[in-house]
Amino acid sequence: MNLRPLVLPLVILGVVATGFYCETLSVGTAGPGPVHVVYWEKWTGFEFDAMKKVVDDFNATHKDIQVDMLSTTAIETKTLMAVSAQVAPDVAGLYGANIAQYADDRAVEPLDDLCKESGIKADDYLPAYFNMVTYEGHIWALPSTPASIVLHYNKDMFEKAGLDPEKPPKTIEDLDALSVKLNRVSGGQITQAGFFPPEPGWWNWAWANYFGGKIVDESGKITATSPECIRAMTWIQTFPKKFGGTEYQSFKQGLGNFQSPENPFMEDRLAMEVQGVWMANFINQFKSGLKWGAAPFPYPADRPDLAGTALVDLDVLVIPSGAKHKREAFEFIKFVQTQKEMEKLCLLQWKNTPLSKVSPEFWANHKNPFIKLFYDVSASKNAFSAPKLGVWAQMNAELGSEVDAINLLHKTPKEAMESFTERMQPIVDQYKKRHEMRLARGL
Amino acid sequence: MNRRKEALIGYLFASPWLLGMSVFLLYPLVSALYYSFCDYSVLKPPMTIGTANYIELYHDAVFRKAVANTFIYAAFALPTGLISALVLAMLLNAKLRGQNIYRTLFFLPSLVPAIPMAVLWNWLLNGQFGIFNVLIGKIVYHPPNWLGDPAWTKPSLVLMGTWGVGNTMLIYLASLQDVPTSLIEAAELDGASSWQKTRNVTLPMISPVILFNSVMGLIGSLQIFAQPFVMFPLGGPEQSAYFYSTYLYDKAFRDHAMGYACAMGWIMFIVIFILTLALIKFSEKRVHYGGT
Amino acid sequence: MAKLQLAPSRRNRSAKTRTLIKNSATHVVLVALSLIFIFPIAWLLLTAVKPMTEVLHDPPIWVPTHFEWNNFGDAMKYQSDTLGYIPFLVYARNTIVLCILVVTGTVVSNAIVAYSFARLRWPGRDLMFAFTLATMMIPFPVLMVPTFTLFHNLNWLGSFRPLWIPSWFGAAFNIFLLRQFFKTIPFELSEAARLDGASEWKIFAGVIVPLCKPALGVVALFSFLYTWNDFIGPLIYLLDQKQFTLALGLQSFQNQHGGTPFNQQMAASALVILPVMILFFFTQRLFVQGISITGLK
Repeated sequence: MNLRPLVLPLVILGVVATGFYCETLSVGTAGPGPVHVVYWEKWTGFEFDAMKKVVDDFNATHKDIQVDMLSTTAIETKTLMAVSAQVAPDVAGLYGANIAQYADDRAVEPLDDLCKESGIKADDYLPAYFNMVTYEGHIWALPSTPASIVLHYNKDMFEKAGLDPEKPPKTIEDLDALSVKLNRVSGGQITQAGFFPPEPGWWNWAWANYFGGKIVDESGKITATSPECIRAMTWIQTFPKKFGGTEYQSFKQGLGNFQSPENPFMEDRLAMEVQGVWMANFINQFKSGLKWGAAPFPYPADRPDLAGTALVDLDVLVIPSGAKHKREAFEFIKFVQTQKEMEKLCLLQWKNTPLSKVSPEFWANHKNPFIKLFYDVSASKNAFSAPKLGVWAQMNAELGSEVDAINLLHKTPKEAMESFTERMQPIVDQYKKRHEMRLARGL
Repeated sequence: MNRRKEALIGYLFASPWLLGMSVFLLYPLVSALYYSFCDYSVLKPPMTIGTANYIELYHDAVFRKAVANTFIYAAFALPTGLISALVLAMLLNAKLRGQNIYRTLFFLPSLVPAIPMAVLWNWLLNGQFGIFNVLIGKIVYHPPNWLGDPAWTKPSLVLMGTWGVGNTMLIYLASLQDVPTSLIEAAELDGASSWQKTRNVTLPMISPVILFNSVMGLIGSLQIFAQPFVMFPLGGPEQSAYFYSTYLYDKAFRDHAMGYACAMGWIMFIVIFILTLALIKFSEKRVHYGGT
Repeated sequence: MAKLQLAPSRRNRSAKTRTLIKNSATHVVLVALSLIFIFPIAWLLLTAVKPMTEVLHDPPIWVPTHFEWNNFGDAMKYQSDTLGYIPFLVYARNTIVLCILVVTGTVVSNAIVAYSFARLRWPGRDLMFAFTLATMMIPFPVLMVPTFTLFHNLNWLGSFRPLWIPSWFGAAFNIFLLRQFFKTIPFELSEAARLDGASEWKIFAGVIVPLCKPALGVVALFSFLYTWNDFIGPLIYLLDQKQFTLALGLQSFQNQHGGTPFNQQMAASALVILPVMILFFFTQRLFVQGISITGLK
């Protein structure tokens, strides 16, 4: 008998069986023993290692719950898709700015009851940070690590330019004056800049706040054409105007990556930069001998009330909707909120603490010489954070494109802010309208 | 075997595809049409909103920008890719030693995955320290800022695309090898020059393949996704590298406007359909279908 | 007479010289173009063996001062200290498993379907074939959202299923390729087998398939290369880092702050490219022949 025709079906059968076998491999089976809490985190490298220590502490003290931590790229997209696919992790480490969109989509569990039950309350945190985990009257997340962002300046470069390294700029006007003295241009090319707004370019929207304005208010009304916002954008455009749009872009292209020895601040190419509390760690890592300082970002001389205006940011822990082990997940989140673990985590990640209570050891052991400053600006009434809007991701991207046009001198600040408003206001309005429509239709 | 039995077996053999096509192509296509009239975010059930998505698209400035970017890109990438692939294939078709190695080398770029490809070109084309400008800078005083200047982002992508023409080149090469040597020899006897041989014998003989590659190239270049997605996460400077597919992806997976994305998808489908038909119609008289 | 004999041989000689010149010229052009084409890849390989300090140097460093072979090892380590947690070997396993599933599925399903289109007569066949070709015009973006929803409804998201099960149901391009090839095989062979009382499946699997190995090989190679390098599919459908494939996993080297260990990323990339490069080198003749036999027209 010719067996040849049978070979093919057998091969198919074998391969399909392998396929399904591998599926089970990747899914993992629930057996007896401790409950496994799956925790996705965006961090890699040392930040991941720091959190891993906290996870290990938790696992050591909780015999019935084991947290499995996994590093995940593009976490804000992946988590949402996982929620829709009903394969969400039990805990996800998102960015604070994601909360509004997630909450609008009901992709995260509200934590009000669980917080109340375990006695976690607003007073435990600095108001600026607690504000970030709430949205429309509910608590949707709790902090993992916070950050505050201030002006960093390179003392070596100050000295080389004959400036007093102990005198960082107080006002925007000071900053401009210092900046001019630190700029170096040779053969039409910028070789060194005093201050360069596009670096690192992570918070385009924040310039408005330093001038007392806001890109968008709480109600979702875009206020980008307010005098304060236009003033801020006009200010950042003075820099390319000084150098020329093309040269400005070339200089930007030539700047090395943030987390590398080619970081322009450490390469003595950029004297002043807005950066977060984490910067000290990277300086230590890539150029430990660098003499540097930190100071609150300057305020316009005519607005002394804005002194100490600081951007704060927050990484958060959420429980995605449909998580299989909600209680156990919260158990872990609660553990991270304890002063001991939180301070441990923030010390290891070189960050300030989001808690209102701080132990003397935290100050003593922190390796950032300016840690008190970072804490103080977070506690200040002038601390501000990203707007809480469901369409924030898109809004921020659109603003980035307009800021490109400003930097390239393709648009005046007024034109750019007008076209931004024209573009985004209908989108915001419609987003809200649809949201209400859904509620009305009970969807 | 009677006809009925043969037909039955025929259907049976074709059934995987008939099923697959219905489930994985036609059903999604039709449901996309339905979603395009809905507000839909996967997390919540679709809510019908009539033609609102299409009206919104009509007023969407970024959509218009993405459409313009995509057409500009395709207008340059398509001819550049087709011609360079054909020239390479002709060179590779010459009877020479070492063609195995040349073929592998030319095809190699199409084996590089999207991520390292993007990282590599990010360095090579860097306006300040990129090798490209270090070399060009010796000739030109002001080399372009490839990735930072909105005017140069699309040419950069065309350049990258040309580098990865391996697949198209291979298909040309295969067809060139099918051109009967007898025809070429006959032309040689008539005293035809190389150019005349190419123009009057080779090109007509492979014209169906040129059409095939044009259609595939058209569809492919209008759908460009991976390279801009990795290299220009927010659409590049002033959204100059924001393309149809990348905007659609952002709409769907960043803004969760899945209905809107479906409306975009359907418009793209119709446009590609019309353009392809037009291309085939246009080429009818120019393509030579002779047996080889 | 003598004069007549001389003329062709002289012409011959000059033709030979002409060919020689032409061939050398072609070689020169090919070498020059090869250099341009492999330059980025050469740069990739050079970066893969550079120490990190020389990777982004300005001005660029061409040849590293010392070769950092450890990059390859570091890139492959499951939990490397320097870079966090990139399970390269897990990605590799995932990719290989996926490739096996997809390649088998593609070859088997397309062969069966193409056989029906090429060698069996059934009502509506030619219309269906034209329709099949037309489906090639459906752009991927229009399907991006609805297939996501479909796989969501099927409860397939977060598993490999969306990436391999569809390949078991045929694809227009492959059906087209194989159909052209199947048509070239004499129909008398089938008739003879039928007269011997062989079933249609037996004719397909026992007679036709063994004769079509080159074409099936091309389909297998194409689908292998595609699956190996596919970025969009895994990007959309895979959710868990542990399930990522190599092409997607290479993204994990990218850090949120741009602190990418580029040398290790390039080392990993080189490891991803190497197998397919070798495969292509040894199969390119089959590639070209396979495409040409199927008469892509």
